[in-house]
Amino acid sequence: MKASPRTVWTALAVAAALALPVAPAVSDQVARSVILDNLDRRVEVPERVERIISLEPEITRLIVALGAGGKLVGVDYFLKTQDRVFPLVFPSARTLPVVSFQGQFPNFEEIIRLRPDLVFSSPSEFEWTQSLQQKIRTPVAALASLGKFANLLEETAVLGRILGRADRARELALYFEAATHGVGRNSLPGPRVYLSFWGSLLRTPVDYEPVEAAGGRNCAAGLLPASLGSAAATVQVEQIIRWNPDIILIQGNYPPGERAVTVEDVLSDSRLASVRAVKERRVYYTFGFWYWWDPALVVVETAYLASLFHPAEFPGFDLDRAGRAAFGKFYGSAAAFSALAEALKCHDWVRR
Amino acid sequence: MTGSGAKTLRWLLPAALVLPVVLLLASLNLGVYHIPLGEVWRTLAGVFSPGGTASGTPAADILFRIRLPRLLLAMFGGAALAVSGASLQAIFKNPLVFEFSLGINFGSAFGAALSLVFLGRALPPQLSAFAFGVLAVGLVLFIAGKSISQIVPVLLAGIIVSALFQALLSLVEFVANPYALQALIFWLLGSLAQATWADLRVTLPVVGFGVAALYGFRWRLNVLSLGDEEARALGVNVKWERILVIAVATLIVAAVTAVAGVISWVGLIVPHLVRMAAGADNRKVVPLSAGFGASLLIVADDVARGVASFEIPIGILTSVVGLPFFILLLRKSRRIWQ
Amino acid sequence: MNVRAGGLVFTYEDFRLDIPDLTLAAGCLTSIVGPNGAGKSTFLKCAAGVLAVPRGTLFVAGRDLAGLRGRDRARLVGYVPQEPAFTFNYAVLDFVLTGRAAFIPAFSSPSSHDLKLAEESLHYVGLDGFADRTLLDLSSGERRLALIARALAQESDILLLDEPTSFLDPRHEVETLALCRRLADERAKTIIVTLHNLEMAVKYSDAMVFMKGGRVLASGPPAEVLSEALLRTVYDMDMKIVECAGHIFFVK
Repeated sequence: MKASPRTVWTALAVAAALALPVAPAVSDQVARSVILDNLDRRVEVPERVERIISLEPEITRLIVALGAGGKLVGVDYFLKTQDRVFPLVFPSARTLPVVSFQGQFPNFEEIIRLRPDLVFSSPSEFEWTQSLQQKIRTPVAALASLGKFANLLEETAVLGRILGRADRARELALYFEAATHGVGRNSLPGPRVYLSFWGSLLRTPVDYEPVEAAGGRNCAAGLLPASLGSAAATVQVEQIIRWNPDIILIQGNYPPGERAVTVEDVLSDSRLASVRAVKERRVYYTFGFWYWWDPALVVVETAYLASLFHPAEFPGFDLDRAGRAAFGKFYGSAAAFSALAEALKCHDWVRR
Repeated sequence: MTGSGAKTLRWLLPAALVLPVVLLLASLNLGVYHIPLGEVWRTLAGVFSPGGTASGTPAADILFRIRLPRLLLAMFGGAALAVSGASLQAIFKNPLVFEFSLGINFGSAFGAALSLVFLGRALPPQLSAFAFGVLAVGLVLFIAGKSISQIVPVLLAGIIVSALFQALLSLVEFVANPYALQALIFWLLGSLAQATWADLRVTLPVVGFGVAALYGFRWRLNVLSLGDEEARALGVNVKWERILVIAVATLIVAAVTAVAGVISWVGLIVPHLVRMAAGADNRKVVPLSAGFGASLLIVADDVARGVASFEIPIGILTSVVGLPFFILLLRKSRRIWQ
Repeated sequence: MNVRAGGLVFTYEDFRLDIPDLTLAAGCLTSIVGPNGAGKSTFLKCAAGVLAVPRGTLFVAGRDLAGLRGRDRARLVGYVPQEPAFTFNYAVLDFVLTGRAAFIPAFSSPSSHDLKLAEESLHYVGLDGFADRTLLDLSSGERRLALIARALAQESDILLLDEPTSFLDPRHEVETLALCRRLADERAKTIIVTLHNLEMAVKYSDAMVFMKGGRVLASGPPAEVLSEALLRTVYDMDMKIVECAGHIFFVK
């Protein structure tokens, strides 16, 4: 996410740090397994994990979906203060202490005080992932799906194994695959889609599997991401015109008042007047990926996109119904989706 | 004009004025979206012919709504940064002074960031950028005190103030809600990509006015550069004229920074090169700096956007070119100043 | 065009300049002498407008210096500092042109008239072919001449020169003072110089002012005020005045 110049230096620093031996896990339990995280670090985790801290909301959601929410001993700043859905999905979060500061920087002391067996961090925060592990002498794994289903499924399996919820993990994986596989796949090549995420017209994810799963083609596929641990690339406006996408999707996972890029903006941007998506007014919001993904939302999004890309095949798509079903399956709380939809005003997305 | 310099000057001055225009026209052909040369001219000509439109086709959109505003901003911005550097060097009697070493860059950036994050689109960020740019200069003057004409104290003061505003900027990033933060980080890198006609409607006239004012003042800069005592003895109201120059220089730098982010080193390199070629007389240094500053930034922007499909932030380019150049200058140009 | 100080008191840090009454006559070359720290340069800077003085204490050509606008003052009084404090290596002609600042409005450039005057000043001080050379190319003495030329370009009737002969070899010393003498005689300018070299001062001045510790101890034509007693008071050492071949020498 951070395309800052210091990225190069910190990447070099991380590479140097990785050359040093990783601090061993503090627990004295006999059996250990190894996770390979998204920063290509081999993290040894204890066989039995009872106390978890997750600084990556995606992992937190998965832990709750797997029914292991009781093992959480702390919650991160974002989930506590900015996430409307999480309190509905996991009401006990109310009592959990906050372990990071504004800006998602971890509160080392608080984390140490809570004595977790395992900590999950976000790959986009690679600067402090390794130092966190060394400071608190507990394994820290940086996991996030970065827009790919395979990653999401693997995370689910890994978490299921560590938390002793392998069955539930398998159940969710099957549901996920069934819901996303083959949706929108047909013989015709699907529409070419340009995604504008992260509050800027020019930032786009190089991988965003819901698009492919729904039968579309991501224009930015194959570009190099701007920095380690992120899926974001920055393009020029001319490049968008050159791609001439059929559909433009804007990240809508922001409350309407806080969207830096809006559908109206794109439609009225005179620079894009010649782009097919703008001419045909096929510019929509979608949920999108931030530095984390809600797996239930991914299911909903894939179905929603399929209905956008191939309206003829999915005439009766009901966003609300799909959402409530998915959230009910993952979290046992269909009302959580309704609350989210209310906050994002999703129902306005296709009503035009 | 004096004798031997006049020959070089004869072609240098027209060159400085013509070069940016030539580069601009040439750069219209550069870009990720390839437009054949013939189509470029046809589209350009199409604006003037009766019934011609300036939009609709991709080529027209790209030329008039993406490349042209960008190149104009590069031209005006480069001139502004170079001229402000030259002027500040004169009145501070200090050849290592430029908008960066007075903290104007980061002060303006902080002001604009503050405006963008907390006021959104309600207020044009140029206002806040100017206010904080002036504040930054004031702080530098305050810290440097009587040593304002000595190189080392001013540089130190400038570093302190720049560091201060960079830290404040980080604070704004920290405090900004995550949604505004994304947009802010991107803007801070320094890029002419954000230039739209709406922005230019404010920036270009302000810059034009400022550069024209400094151009009018160019001979006076010679007098002011003699230092407080001598300038006063020559009958110049040093205090007010110095304030005037600082205000105008800050204004134009702030206007550019508010739209394009932090672009450094132009205000240092260009006046130095010009002085090496044409002597220290500001009657030549100011217009030549304007012309070559404009040219430099156009070329830098061409590199920034032409090299790859993504964009190299222009602030990084000018730094990467500027720093080694600066070291070279320090070693070679001992004849330009004591 | 005389310079008169009446009740001039100027203090800064631990130095105090106190001149109750002093008149420097028009059209004459007056030299101000005295030991280091006597306040010679300070007085000159006050007269030049470089240091601000209160109203009613310093008058040039009968007008209150403190009440004059910078522009008007610069047309009356020209100041030649000891060393030019320049940072940028201007061409000599451009440097001299800056002397026209009092005549050129803020947003204008010099006219051909200004240029002509600058060239004439260069000619008068003997720097004819130097117009295109740069300041760093000049010797110390030539730079001093350029400074004088600049003051001349101001067309002021009063010229203040601070230690114009310091660091110069004897020949250049003589030439510089001869130039000052010419300015007083040919152009009827009021020339006020501060000097260290007593012999030179006596030889070239119409009047001398002896200062010490911020006060004026004596002023008047050299023949009248010069005495060994005065020298002992001013310089805190014994000096003998010797006359030889029509010149006055001081033996320490």
